[in-house]
Amino acid sequence: MKRIMIDKDKCMACLGCVLGCMAEHNEKGKSIYDLDLEDRTNESRNHIELDHKQNPIPIVCRHCQEPECAITCMSGAMTKNDETGLVEYDKDKCAACFMCVMSCPYGVLKPDRVNKEVIMKCDMCDNKDTPRCVEFCPTKALYTVEVME
Amino acid sequence: MALKMKAATCNSADKILENFIAELEFDTCHHRIETQDIKCGFGLQGVCCKLCANGPCRITPDAPKGVCGATSDTIVARNFLRAVTAGSACYLHIVENAAWNLKETGEKKGEIKGKNTLNQLAQLFEIDGGGYHQKAVKIGEKVLEDLYKPRFKEMELVEKLAYEPRYERWQELGILPGGAKSEVFDSLVKTSTNLNSDPVDMLLHALNLGISTGLYGLFLTNKLNDIMLGEPQIRPASVGFKVLDPDYINIMITGHQHSLFSHLQEALVSYYAKEKAKEVGAKGFKLVGSTCVGQDLQLRGEHYQDVFSGHSGNNFTSEALIATGSIDLVLSEFNCTFPGIEPISEELMVKMICIDDVAKKQKAEFVQYSYEDRENISLYVIEEGIKSYKNRRNKIKINMPANHGNDDTLTGISEDSLREFLGGSYKPLIDLIVAGKIKGIAGIVGCSNLVSGGHDVFTVELTKELIKRDIIVLSAGCSSGGLENVGLMSPQAAALAGDSLRSICEQLGIPPVLNFGPCLSIGRLEAVAKELARILYIDLPQLPLILSAPQWLEEQALADGAFALALGLPLHLAKPPYITGSKIVTKVLTEDLEELTGGRLIMDDDVLSTADKLENIILSKRNALGI
Repeated sequence: MKRIMIDKDKCMACLGCVLGCMAEHNEKGKSIYDLDLEDRTNESRNHIELDHKQNPIPIVCRHCQEPECAITCMSGAMTKNDETGLVEYDKDKCAACFMCVMSCPYGVLKPDRVNKEVIMKCDMCDNKDTPRCVEFCPTKALYTVEVME
Repeated sequence: MALKMKAATCNSADKILENFIAELEFDTCHHRIETQDIKCGFGLQGVCCKLCANGPCRITPDAPKGVCGATSDTIVARNFLRAVTAGSACYLHIVENAAWNLKETGEKKGEIKGKNTLNQLAQLFEIDGGGYHQKAVKIGEKVLEDLYKPRFKEMELVEKLAYEPRYERWQELGILPGGAKSEVFDSLVKTSTNLNSDPVDMLLHALNLGISTGLYGLFLTNKLNDIMLGEPQIRPASVGFKVLDPDYINIMITGHQHSLFSHLQEALVSYYAKEKAKEVGAKGFKLVGSTCVGQDLQLRGEHYQDVFSGHSGNNFTSEALIATGSIDLVLSEFNCTFPGIEPISEELMVKMICIDDVAKKQKAEFVQYSYEDRENISLYVIEEGIKSYKNRRNKIKINMPANHGNDDTLTGISEDSLREFLGGSYKPLIDLIVAGKIKGIAGIVGCSNLVSGGHDVFTVELTKELIKRDIIVLSAGCSSGGLENVGLMSPQAAALAGDSLRSICEQLGIPPVLNFGPCLSIGRLEAVAKELARILYIDLPQLPLILSAPQWLEEQALADGAFALALGLPLHLAKPPYITGSKIVTKVLTEDLEELTGGRLIMDDDVLSTADKLENIILSKRNALGI
């Protein structure tokens, strides 16, 4: 299975990963030109944080081996798929209790900006070869590796 | 057997060139595009601003305004206007130099090659009496006076140059330009930090710059050059790398200012130069065309059969041209002179000389051109050419692609030579359009780039698609360089046209794609459009005519685009000009403008859907005219 790795020293905070994620999940089309940068319903599942020295760090979902988000999920919306290794999210089962948001050790999960009803959760771009965040990273601060089952 | 791996290089519509470049040991644009393939989304949408120290600010749903409060509309409009301004400045630089050269040619009683054009302009500018030289001086002065006017004084020649209904429209819209250089100047002021924030005002300023770019930078540059360098005459010519003859001392020219080579063209074929060349074992000197100035020489090729070997290709073939090893000296005066040619020139010991500091290359020797010094400069270029040939030829391996180009590209087409070809009037062309034998006209103009499918890919494919639909194509710009090298400007390309256009072309022995030469000739296309409209008593937006700069590259192309929109023509671009981040700018340019000037921008990166849209526009314009 594939995982997104981070080489934070290479991150320039260009937000390419953020735009890539937004473009991939945009209902109006996947091209960068389809993206309305003022539309608050267009949301990224990843983001960039600044550390205490103001250096940028990309924050992406790790699809953890022991996912706190899935463990704390009471409705069964967040589950670990043992076959693909991905932590999957089913918005129809979600009760919007935000336990996953509180328990995520990386701070990557968040409720949607406008309605605060669903969780913004990485789906590894439906397992496409290269996730858009990785594809859009000009410095290769984000890259994928195959990891053991 | 080890398989030779093909380097990752860009696709090109020109397969011989593509394969040649892939085998090169040099790094070229065609290689680097692969390393620059991840683009910044904010840049693509035009919503990055670094006009102040609080930046760069970028628009996102969480940050819909810059620190200063600028919206995406302000940021995009500012960036767009800055690009148009720079492009306009480039063309004004060209016409300014041409006007000075014409004035000095007149004052020093130099050769006037285009007497018809001189008289045409003298009449248009109401210059009475005086000999050819006096008229030349006055024409040059009139142009310069206008360029140097303050912004609050309207340029006098605009009314004489513009098509009357257009002039009236521009007056109503308040976009008639004041002194062209002042308009550029104040546009820079307008777009600086925390000044203008009104996207519509900035777009109107872009149209204003488009008018001076088109009428002066394009149209008048052609005319002034025709006076000094000779009028275009229709003739078949060789194109592509096959024009290179390694037995000569080859000087590659890059840029846009033909008049700066006026003296050199004659000097290189002088007895003195020929003898000097023979002394080092060469047959003589040749100027090898590259970029738009090569297209300009090709256009006036009838007058330079001895010194001009032919046009090799557009800007994205220039690195490969030097890499053949057959070039001994690069002489540049303006843009489309890529920095990428420098390391290749250095490696192959090719001397670089630059005669206008606006295009000063790091590795080039700078020799400022002036009319006064022209003889010394020509002598110096001859001397350096000899030195370079002698120094490098025994150390360099010549590596030429086989069978690149052709010998029957139809060249020398201008607003005047085409009229003459048609029998002295554009009426026969109008008759064919009215009869529906030619559905309409498409101007495929502008540059070449490496996006939109690769080098010239969109340009060539769209052109093929349009001629298939019986739409005749007129080309001006680097687009011509690509189209001619793949054979679309040769008479046998008629076979690719629709039945009706094909039979017309075969009857006349012409290709379905007409070669107007350099980007400056977009001004000639406007002259053709004006003439067609005048015969039909209609305004330009009513013509069944569309423009596409499918593979626009530079800021200059955006200034040309502003001209097209001011003329009221539909303009297609395959890649959006970094505006889609603003809803107002996008809406004004793609929709509202139709109510203002009649023009509009069409952005589409798919060949077939573009061809459908452009054909539909032509059909609806025909419909509106009742034809």
